[in-house]
Amino acid sequence: MEGLPTSSALSRRAVLAAGAALALAGCGPRLVGARTVRYANWGSPGDDSDAMRLVRGLYEDFELSTGVDLRVENIPGSQEYLRKVLLSYVAKSEPDVITLDASSAAIFIENGVLQDLMPFVNGANGVLLEEFFPNVVEIAKRGDALYALPVDFNPVLVYYNRAMFAAAGVPEPRDGWTFEDFRATARALTKGEQYGFEFANWMPGWIMWLWNHGGDVLSPDGRRAQGYLDAEPCVEAVQFLHDLVERDKVAPRLSQAASMGVDLFANARSAMKVSGHWELVGLASAPKVNLDEVGVVSFPTRLENPITVAYEAGLAMGRHARNLEDAWEFIRFFTSEATQMEYQRTGIAICARQAVAEKMATTEVKQAFVRAARTARVPWGARVPKYDQVERIGQDMMDRVMQHGTKPAEALRSAAQQIDEVFRDA
Amino acid sequence: MRKSQTGWWFIAPATLHLLVFAFVPVAYAAYVSLFRWDILRDERTFVGLDQYQRLMADQAFWGSMGQTFKYALMAVPGGLVAALLVALAVSQPLKGMAWFRTLFYIPAVSSGVAIAMLWIYVYLPERGLINTMLMGLGQPSIDFLNESGWALPALAFMSVWVGLGPRMIIYVAGLMSLPVTVYEAASLDGASGWQKFWRMTMPLLAPTHLFVLVTSTIGAFQTFTPVYMMTNGRPMGSTNLVGYHIYVTAWENFNVSAASAQSFVLLFLLGLVSLAQFRMMRRRLEGYDAS
Repeated sequence: MEGLPTSSALSRRAVLAAGAALALAGCGPRLVGARTVRYANWGSPGDDSDAMRLVRGLYEDFELSTGVDLRVENIPGSQEYLRKVLLSYVAKSEPDVITLDASSAAIFIENGVLQDLMPFVNGANGVLLEEFFPNVVEIAKRGDALYALPVDFNPVLVYYNRAMFAAAGVPEPRDGWTFEDFRATARALTKGEQYGFEFANWMPGWIMWLWNHGGDVLSPDGRRAQGYLDAEPCVEAVQFLHDLVERDKVAPRLSQAASMGVDLFANARSAMKVSGHWELVGLASAPKVNLDEVGVVSFPTRLENPITVAYEAGLAMGRHARNLEDAWEFIRFFTSEATQMEYQRTGIAICARQAVAEKMATTEVKQAFVRAARTARVPWGARVPKYDQVERIGQDMMDRVMQHGTKPAEALRSAAQQIDEVFRDA
Repeated sequence: MRKSQTGWWFIAPATLHLLVFAFVPVAYAAYVSLFRWDILRDERTFVGLDQYQRLMADQAFWGSMGQTFKYALMAVPGGLVAALLVALAVSQPLKGMAWFRTLFYIPAVSSGVAIAMLWIYVYLPERGLINTMLMGLGQPSIDFLNESGWALPALAFMSVWVGLGPRMIIYVAGLMSLPVTVYEAASLDGASGWQKFWRMTMPLLAPTHLFVLVTSTIGAFQTFTPVYMMTNGRPMGSTNLVGYHIYVTAWENFNVSAASAQSFVLLFLLGLVSLAQFRMMRRRLEGYDAS
């Protein structure tokens, strides 16, 4: 009997072996092979929308054409995404390819989280940067280095309901209109339960009011807020927004808007709102607004030319990426003209490739977005690593003005101080 | 000798778990708080107690601490009173009381995230449960989670509901341990129901009050999930409770050293509050003994 395992020992080993196999196959992490690319993107893993199915089809096309195993890691929530990807970088295990949001690009770029893509761009298997909108390419550029290849972007404009304008006998707005034009228009459109405008306290959506009033949140070098955010142009712009709600009553209070429980613009309860290209996706199935009756116009301005922003998304490569060639192959595939012609059918944004953007701009509204795109500004988050804290302070500031009745000058002075403290601590 | 060795083996896993997942992280956090540590660049400089000094002048931190005190003042007494009343009700020798105890305990075994989601719907403007009732009574709808005057009380009210089950069970246990003979003697002496409750039940439950008070206060200072899920510290920082503030400092601002220092200050303050509660209750107990 010696040398032969007993039945109980055998069964014990069998159970242990089976357990180990199960742990490896099912419970443990999947083993990453040589031709594997890990790709981090926003979104819910369970998203089964039409847009997501289209995107999954593109992923499969990439895998079939290259033989690369693409492991997509969808992370819901922009803050959660930021945190998870950055912490995986700290653990030196970040995904090979990372979707980079312009609004938080600086924290990645300035902390050395990403690889310079220029060697790949200029390599044998490269791309022509001239085919992209130059201002959008600029977002992830630092000197000669490029840290993300842009996929698409969203300028933010003023949406208006043409049917409501016609019904009120109000002429449609045109680019170059002034703040006073806007106020008068909103007044003319407000009656009964219908508002001329809908204001949302979302700083990426209201910062353009400051810009178009000649102000800004930070100094041009992005290092201080005092002297800028608390300067007269910003105070006047915030006062203007406050007055729209409290004095002119052409927009509901934030709590009133929330208590109505519906998207006011999509339900023809407000005639104007500020939003990006993504709004068109929701409006296509809006209950009381026909997409053909929607117009867009640039922000009212007191400058020579109106300003908007380019909220861009690009593809970047993690500094600890293991499979550089295949990671670049995926970036190249996904930003290629052929893929983008498919991908942009989702309609969420404007393609960063100029030719694709122009081909996809089949309506007047989309053409207006493409026109605005050419001069859209780089968002602060692409330049200032601590900008997410600036946005939190800005949002609080607006809450104080809109909900607590704090004077704009006082709220802005306090916010500017807080922001500079954040920068000092950094 | 062998017996004691066996005992050590039995407690070894739990001790190891405690060491690895509690004592070592706490010690490491103390170590981290002595540095200026940029985790993204992996640069660290020893700064001694500088983080603690800076914290003394950190308005945002003390603002969040102030909000947490307000929250605790709303949630803890409310939670104690509600739990005691429910415990008294479900301790009655009536049919079906076990079911009620189970029902009241259900929130305690539910996921914090699921509960927060549920309460978002309860507090929804216009269509939420509470606003539907308010509007039914001809009152205007209230945006509970977005109005600075309402958001903190709304979270405190929710915490009373969530903590009701565990507190109630502790009170039920306390009530069951009370000596029946004393009550019989009081009845013979002609004591009314209220007198028995106020002069006997309340003092006899003092150790239970103390336990529930201390654990509820600590729990209130550790509140995180509802803030993260429902308000993100808004509006105007009114729900920026200290647990959430520490989280934001560490994982949104990536300032782990400051967050570690904040945690130790919180630990110190909680220790003080708990000590004060112990002393206050002991004095009251001595007062009862004397009377």
